[in-house]
Amino acid sequence: MRRVFSTDHKVIGKQFLFLGLAFLAVGGVMAMLIRWQLARPGQPVPIVGRLLFPGAGGVISPAAYTSLFTMHGTIMIFFAVTPILIGGFGNFCVPLLIGARDMAFPRLNMLSFWTMAAATATLTASFFVPLGAAQAGWTAYATLSTAIGAPGPGQTMWTVAIYLNGVSTIMGAVNYITTVVRLRAPGMDWFRLPLTVWGFFLTSILNALFVPVIAAAMALLFFDRVFGTQFFIAGTTMRAGGDPILYQHLFWLFGHPEVYILILPAWGIVSDLLSFFARKPAFGYRVTVWALIGVVVLSCVVYGHHMFTTGMSPLLGESFMLLTMIISVPTSLLFLNWLGTLWRGALRMTTPMLFCVGLVFTFGIGGLTGLYLADIVADQYLHDTYFVVGHFHLIMAAALLMASFAATYFWFPKMFGRMMSERLGKLHFWPTFLALNVVFIGQLAIGWAGMQRRLYDPSAYDFLKHLLPWNVWISRAAYVLGLSQLVFVWNFFASLRRGKPAPANPWEVGTLEWTVPSPPPHHNFEEIPTVVRGPHELGHPDARALGKDWLGQDEVLS
Amino acid sequence: MRLDVPRDVSLDGHVVDGVLGYLTLCTGIAFAVLVIVLAATLIFHRARPGRPHAHHTYGDSLRARLLTFGVGLVLFVAIDVTLAVRASGHLHERFWNYPDADPSALRVEVTARQWAWTFRTAGPDARFGTPDDVVTLGELHVPIGRPVYLKLRSKDVVHSLYLPSFRTKIDAIPGSTTKLWIQAQEAGRTEIGCAQHCGVSHYKMRGWLIASPEDEYRAWLARAETDSRLRYDPADTVAQQEGWEW
Repeated sequence: MRRVFSTDHKVIGKQFLFLGLAFLAVGGVMAMLIRWQLARPGQPVPIVGRLLFPGAGGVISPAAYTSLFTMHGTIMIFFAVTPILIGGFGNFCVPLLIGARDMAFPRLNMLSFWTMAAATATLTASFFVPLGAAQAGWTAYATLSTAIGAPGPGQTMWTVAIYLNGVSTIMGAVNYITTVVRLRAPGMDWFRLPLTVWGFFLTSILNALFVPVIAAAMALLFFDRVFGTQFFIAGTTMRAGGDPILYQHLFWLFGHPEVYILILPAWGIVSDLLSFFARKPAFGYRVTVWALIGVVVLSCVVYGHHMFTTGMSPLLGESFMLLTMIISVPTSLLFLNWLGTLWRGALRMTTPMLFCVGLVFTFGIGGLTGLYLADIVADQYLHDTYFVVGHFHLIMAAALLMASFAATYFWFPKMFGRMMSERLGKLHFWPTFLALNVVFIGQLAIGWAGMQRRLYDPSAYDFLKHLLPWNVWISRAAYVLGLSQLVFVWNFFASLRRGKPAPANPWEVGTLEWTVPSPPPHHNFEEIPTVVRGPHELGHPDARALGKDWLGQDEVLS
Repeated sequence: MRLDVPRDVSLDGHVVDGVLGYLTLCTGIAFAVLVIVLAATLIFHRARPGRPHAHHTYGDSLRARLLTFGVGLVLFVAIDVTLAVRASGHLHERFWNYPDADPSALRVEVTARQWAWTFRTAGPDARFGTPDDVVTLGELHVPIGRPVYLKLRSKDVVHSLYLPSFRTKIDAIPGSTTKLWIQAQEAGRTEIGCAQHCGVSHYKMRGWLIASPEDEYRAWLARAETDSRLRYDPADTVAQQEGWEW
């Protein structure tokens, strides 16, 4: 019991990680089912079809399809990437990287995980109620998500699950903020923090500010559904004085920061790892930190670009367009610093490094395609098409997955005391990277040709009929992407049992987690270290005099 | 593997296409530079026996900072600012320049519901809610060469009127009215779609926009008005399309 209901941040981190990976698999299978329907509309799903859709002879019905894309988005964002990156690596890394023995509030930390577990249980149960799981899309726009469009209990349970997920996230955010502010080791100045910690810290600030907004939206939606209030209900089907657009404002006021909530830890991790494996200090560390802070501030004032087609006032529209475009300033600084880090480095192309470089590539496409959607003139054509789907998958799926994999390959030795196989890691990287790009760039292409999102059968439209071969190839790449994750699963579990025992510092880097044994003892540090330098002292001339090319953050030179 | 963008039959669609082309040019160049630099580091700057150590720099010199900020600023001005200025011009001159005062504009009330579109024009008296109103289901008839001013509402959930051949769309929202104006330049049938997920049969919520020369349009309208008058029953309030003030 003490291992299950643990207050140790390392155990809780692993619990979040396993929960997230399990749901990543579920969400991934759903993605492949969606792709099957788009490539072979109305044909029975092979192998698993009769098991999953027994009533329809293995065919995905329109209702089942609607549930699939709703739950795919919900699961991937709230129940896979959030627990993996923020719950998993946030928990494991933050105390170790700042030289703390645990989180500031260990019991709150445990409660955060078990609230998340309750949320996942609620969401999972919603598949088995009459009328099935939620069908209003992961954005759950009112009034489709109210009793008008979604009478079944599945949508109500979805609302509760997102609310509980938010409660868990807020508890985590408060904990991370307090831990970073209060528990940094002596000498760990703000500008000596690893960028990973900056990522988690800034993410937690956004979480603490904006998750309450989605929680409020969920509470109001719940009232509309269960208690007969009409916050979001209007129209003639059910006469009421509410406003469906209010829901969109609340949703995107949270929803846009959410993108940065998820990507900030990824940016932090990648900024650190590129430096570690280029054997060079992170280029322009302070500029990177201020760029991350700039993104955090701007992320609060751009959400309206999700609502350009709701007929918002011209002044508001133009303001959101301009503010959105300003985000490209800190983002381009980030990219330039990444390239600066790599330039004239001595690159070690390990598996974590491959995933980081892959992220720079896909995030490049994902970020640049954002410009199309920030431009209101282009957006009026591309809005709600597959161009949007491709754009945000390049960021939320491709970039976040690659950051998650990079983090997993990098910290696995510290987490479990064993190395993962480099050979299998590379075998995992290449098909993943290539397939990801085919899938999501393919989606950009069919969006360019006008294909809307969330269509059960695109061939219902004459102008989309000729896109079927594109959908077939995108789906094939998606199956390759799904199947190549089996290499990761194999590598993960085989290494857990039979991997080479990990030394304390296998990657030869200087941050504090590598000064303790792998895996670290219960309270991390026998003695709280005193930090004397920044996190990226690689290739330093002083170190070379000692016959190595890195200096630990707490290493005192005699 | 054809990738055909829907045929542009509109007055302003080419503006959207032009912006898309400009965006692709700008982002294409930026991405090409990113890939070239990335590839160069991966090829030339790997650790190898003759090259065990990296060039040691923190990238925090004034020169390095000026360089990053300079490149960032140049990119911002060259791409973002030009895009925003151009977009703003197009919006005020065209897309948001609604034909409120244009007597020649055809005014249409669009009502969305799960899962169909209805379109109502006012008839010769130019007033909505009278016996000569023409209501069509799933078909929007417009003349070519003059503005069509659409105002939209939804009965139930949020929908989005999507006109791929006009490169535009606008949401239809329960409880509020949205507006859009278009102008067809070519006769013919083009598809109308729904772009906003509106329930299980979202994919079936489509219609047709039928653009015809003025004389053909007037002939169609005259027939449709006659039908409307014959069918009109003031006692049957259920059959009458609900409208709103323009």
